[in-house]
Amino acid sequence: MKKKVLATLLAAAMTAGALAGCGNSAAETPAQQAPAAETPAAETPAAETPAAETPAADEAPAAEAPAASDAISTLIANTTGPVTMTVWASEEDQDYTTKLLDDFKALYSDVTFEITLGAESESTAKDTVLTDVEAAADVYAFADDQINDLVQAGALQEVVANYTYDVAASNVAGSLDAASVDGKLYAYPMTADNGYFMFYDSSVFTADDVKSLEKMIEVADAAGKKIAMDISNGWYIYAFFEGAGLDLTLNADGSNTCTWNAAGGTDVAQAILDLTSSGVFVDMGDEDMATQIAEGNVVACVNGTWRAETAQTAWGDNYAATKLPTFKVAGKDCQMSSYSGYKLIGVNPHSKNLGWAMLLAEFLTNEESQKGRFEARGLGPANSAAAASDAVQSNPAIAALAEQAAYATPQRVGGNFWSPAETLGQILASGNPDGTDLQTLLDTTVEGITAPIE
Amino acid sequence: MKNGLNAVGKYFKDLGTAVAKGDIWVKLSTVLMGAGYFARKQVINGIIMCLVEVLFVVLCVGYAAPNLAKFGTLGTVQFEQVFDPLTMTSTVNDYDNSFLILLNSIISLFIIFVFAVFYISNLKAVYRLQLKKENGQHINTFGEDVRTMFNEKFHITLLTLPAIGIIIMNILPILVLIAVAFTNYDQQHMPPNALFTWVGWNNFKNLFTSSVTVTFGYSFKKILIWTLEWAVLATFTTYIGGILMAKFINDKRTKLPKLWRTLFIISIAVPQFVTLLLVRSFFADNGIVNTFCTSVGFTDFLKNIGLVPSNLSYIPFLTNPGWAKVMIVIINIWIGIPYQMLVATGVLMNIPEDQIESARIDGANPLQIFIKITMPYMLFVTGPSLITDFVKNINNFNVIYLLTQDVFVTSDQLLANSNAKEIDLLVTWLFRLTNEYYNYKMASVIGIIVFIICAAFTLVTFTRTIKGDKEEEFQ
Amino acid sequence: MKKTIKSIIRHLVLLFLSVVWLIPILWLFVTSFSGYKGINTSHFFPETWTLDNYAQLFLRPDSIVQYPRWFWNTFVIAAFSCIISTILVLMVSYTMSKTRFPGRKGLMSFSIILNMFPGVLSMIAIYFILKTMGLTNSHLGMIIVYSAGAGLGYLICKGFMDTISTSLSEAAKLEGASQATIFFRIIIPLSKPIIVYTVINAFLAPWADFVFAKLMLNSGVATDWTVAIGLFNMLGKSMINKYFSVFCAGGVVIAIPISALFVIMQKFYVEGITGGSVKG
Repeated sequence: MKKKVLATLLAAAMTAGALAGCGNSAAETPAQQAPAAETPAAETPAAETPAAETPAADEAPAAEAPAASDAISTLIANTTGPVTMTVWASEEDQDYTTKLLDDFKALYSDVTFEITLGAESESTAKDTVLTDVEAAADVYAFADDQINDLVQAGALQEVVANYTYDVAASNVAGSLDAASVDGKLYAYPMTADNGYFMFYDSSVFTADDVKSLEKMIEVADAAGKKIAMDISNGWYIYAFFEGAGLDLTLNADGSNTCTWNAAGGTDVAQAILDLTSSGVFVDMGDEDMATQIAEGNVVACVNGTWRAETAQTAWGDNYAATKLPTFKVAGKDCQMSSYSGYKLIGVNPHSKNLGWAMLLAEFLTNEESQKGRFEARGLGPANSAAAASDAVQSNPAIAALAEQAAYATPQRVGGNFWSPAETLGQILASGNPDGTDLQTLLDTTVEGITAPIE
Repeated sequence: MKNGLNAVGKYFKDLGTAVAKGDIWVKLSTVLMGAGYFARKQVINGIIMCLVEVLFVVLCVGYAAPNLAKFGTLGTVQFEQVFDPLTMTSTVNDYDNSFLILLNSIISLFIIFVFAVFYISNLKAVYRLQLKKENGQHINTFGEDVRTMFNEKFHITLLTLPAIGIIIMNILPILVLIAVAFTNYDQQHMPPNALFTWVGWNNFKNLFTSSVTVTFGYSFKKILIWTLEWAVLATFTTYIGGILMAKFINDKRTKLPKLWRTLFIISIAVPQFVTLLLVRSFFADNGIVNTFCTSVGFTDFLKNIGLVPSNLSYIPFLTNPGWAKVMIVIINIWIGIPYQMLVATGVLMNIPEDQIESARIDGANPLQIFIKITMPYMLFVTGPSLITDFVKNINNFNVIYLLTQDVFVTSDQLLANSNAKEIDLLVTWLFRLTNEYYNYKMASVIGIIVFIICAAFTLVTFTRTIKGDKEEEFQ
Repeated sequence: MKKTIKSIIRHLVLLFLSVVWLIPILWLFVTSFSGYKGINTSHFFPETWTLDNYAQLFLRPDSIVQYPRWFWNTFVIAAFSCIISTILVLMVSYTMSKTRFPGRKGLMSFSIILNMFPGVLSMIAIYFILKTMGLTNSHLGMIIVYSAGAGLGYLICKGFMDTISTSLSEAAKLEGASQATIFFRIIIPLSKPIIVYTVINAFLAPWADFVFAKLMLNSGVATDWTVAIGLFNMLGKSMINKYFSVFCAGGVVIAIPISALFVIMQKFYVEGITGGSVKG
């Protein structure tokens, strides 16, 4: 949704009678000028589109301010008594969020806030929210892979209007795609670093070594060390199949289309078998990886920014990161793909203080907060201006992500993907112990992944 | 069965008699419940009955009726919310929440049922009062009525509170879930945002059919078999282990029995979930046990004899289906034996010594004594608790969940398609279905099946105990 | 001579077994003093020793670790729910054991079957029932969760009461005592071992349960939690490498009151479990 504040405000106000759940009413109003907004941003691959579609600022920025600030002052005027809200941030983000909450309270000092900060990891927010949407926090952070489920469960308030900054114009296109469902923006991008790439110890590998996975295995084997990747996990194993040009897409009804069993699929499966057969390239969960890096057994791993600290501590000056390597499929080098990942902030539509919750969500994700989050925790900003800063650009993990971005795709996948893909990874990583015919193996996996949603 | 039918027949016959033969006051009680009491000068009873009736009517009109009206469809009005960007507030329509309709309807039906029973017994009581009066018998004052609650009717007084608790915590949830098994309540139909509705026996059909995409039938069979295997193994290994351990420690030749016993009991002191999570890290693929096994060459030895796949550099204690099953049983033995030992110690101390003595004089060896005397005695005494343990193990959530959650990945594709794993028990499977996949409909169906299995099992074994050859024995 | 060897073997076997039983507990104990916060996978004993984990538990509560609060919460919940459950269990056991009324056996079979229903499944329904009463995220709600259904677990206690001779209560009845008097004056004092057994079991449940607690106390605010959720949470994916040894320290600390309870009550406990059946 690339709209200007005023346009959205007017549009939404005019169609206030329309239903939140069905159809993009704003798009039908004359105030909407950019036809591109009709096209759901999510449908277009992240890497290619941003510049072309982001509308130029044809409405004068000055015009926005009155409407937005009117709304805020109305809100302040209408607020009697303390505003009680709950915010969920991940365990690691508690300190920084506490600081932001204090700043927020100071910013609107006319109003008394009683904000409770709870700990809920971004990766599991969905589990808690979906159990009882009404009891979930007013404002919460989550990883973008959960957005479909959350929207379907009515756990996200659509971002129909911005008040303090223009969400659509300020954040990188990929993050907006990730925060949108069917072309409607449902969340505020917070970080743009939730994808995965390759960490390595540069005392073991040269910059040339890390271009190919086969070469890396050879080098690591010689050094008696291991390379780790969570192969028995749908999120990671996607890298191989997508990299080899096989498809996995989400259908409108929430089921998946998957061609992993098409021609060439067995070659990918065979490639994974070959890679893991050495015992050097190992299947390992994230927590294990942290320990093994610290102990010096793992010298390279496919993981995300959240492991940067561990790797940096363990490898010191030799800490390095880059895009994922290539791997050989039927003798041909294929670049490993990946999911680009974002952390988003969502507002619960069941919030008793919806207006304040939206303002808080904006505050937690504005340029300054994103910059601060990078400085405090090294998280890559989704805000274009914040991301463009030198400090961000020179961070190795974020640079590696940027390098990988060309091969990364936004995560759009239905719930039936995970279990079968995980099991496929498990079988391949353990060397296909039953000796199942690879085509049969993939056929069964694909049937599971593409199972219809009732 | 026949007795039951007769009892039901009598129940309604008595009601008929009461209404037919009752005087005008009894007949009036069908409308105004307190009437019969007022006529016999039991004013307080009368007032209480009237109040109950009024309360019921209020509940019916204000609570039961609106909910039951939607019970057939489970709601038709979809949740809708309109956000006004200028005032930054949203308005929500008067939507239907299918789950709350279901829950409230079941509570309503329950209240109506309880009231009906109460109403009938009230009519009978009023009729009894009439008979008493006609026969010139003493009619209790309110004070006397209260006193009977602490004497002849003490059981009612005592059971009321526990019964209310059980109704809220056990009966209502069970009724709700039985109902859910006949709906399409899952992630696609989750209130408040979406509605769900009745689908008849569909979910049960899904559980018993198998195709490549709907593998519930396949998974159910596999998991049921493992659940039963596990329950048998877990129950008997700890039971026998506990007895052996107790015997070993209590043997006259063992020095310092108390010290040994305490050493084993220490492991009980740490709560189960802590030890289980700890043991999970202990046996992790890259955990300390694996480090040790690798460094002494045990891992390589297992690789050579083919127990560990050759491309692994560790022993997959909790990650390979076969290994995990064995490990889970072993870890359960580790956890269970101290408890069983404690119990067995108590029982063993009470074995009649003379029997063992005379057997020994007859030349029986220790093994024979154990098999012929100790075990039968133990079985006789702890039989019922053995069955309880068995059922508890069928539902043993903690051991399986805490040891394998986040660690074990299934390598059976058909199981994966229905979100099951080789090491799952029926309960852990349904927990995952509800907690991670929100598939409440299938979880309810599985829950009902588990319930039926356990209930059948206990009924068969417990009826003997309940029918009470033992109950009266000691009194 | 042969006897001595046998005796040595016997004690060696015992020693071996106790080592097996104690190793994980020892690991828990030593790791709780580890200077390294994550899981140490290459050494059994920590490389650096420190009391910092305990200090972190008690002196530096943050938004994730609120151990003193958890301890207090759990203690309050456990204390109340154990009082209520014990009362409920005694009420039901007495009724089922000492009074006779039509439908008693039917009720017993019914309650046994009811107890078979997996609690994990009814959880979500209980959650919404309590939510309509406004009791989620409250300790009162937790007390209700742990104690309200306690009446169903009366079997062992009833078995014990069955063994109490009826002659006493018969005699009392002749002297005009009511059922209530018999219950309070005769049966309860004689049921001490089984009461202790029930109290211990009811008291321990909230310390060990995390499934219900996690569902009911879902505000995400650490100060609301019980020990079990708090500790479970520390082993979450993003936490385990920073909190493993703190988790161990927490595990050691809860073991203290529990083992104290056990040591004091051990005699009654065993008598309670076995008492009912043994006297026959």
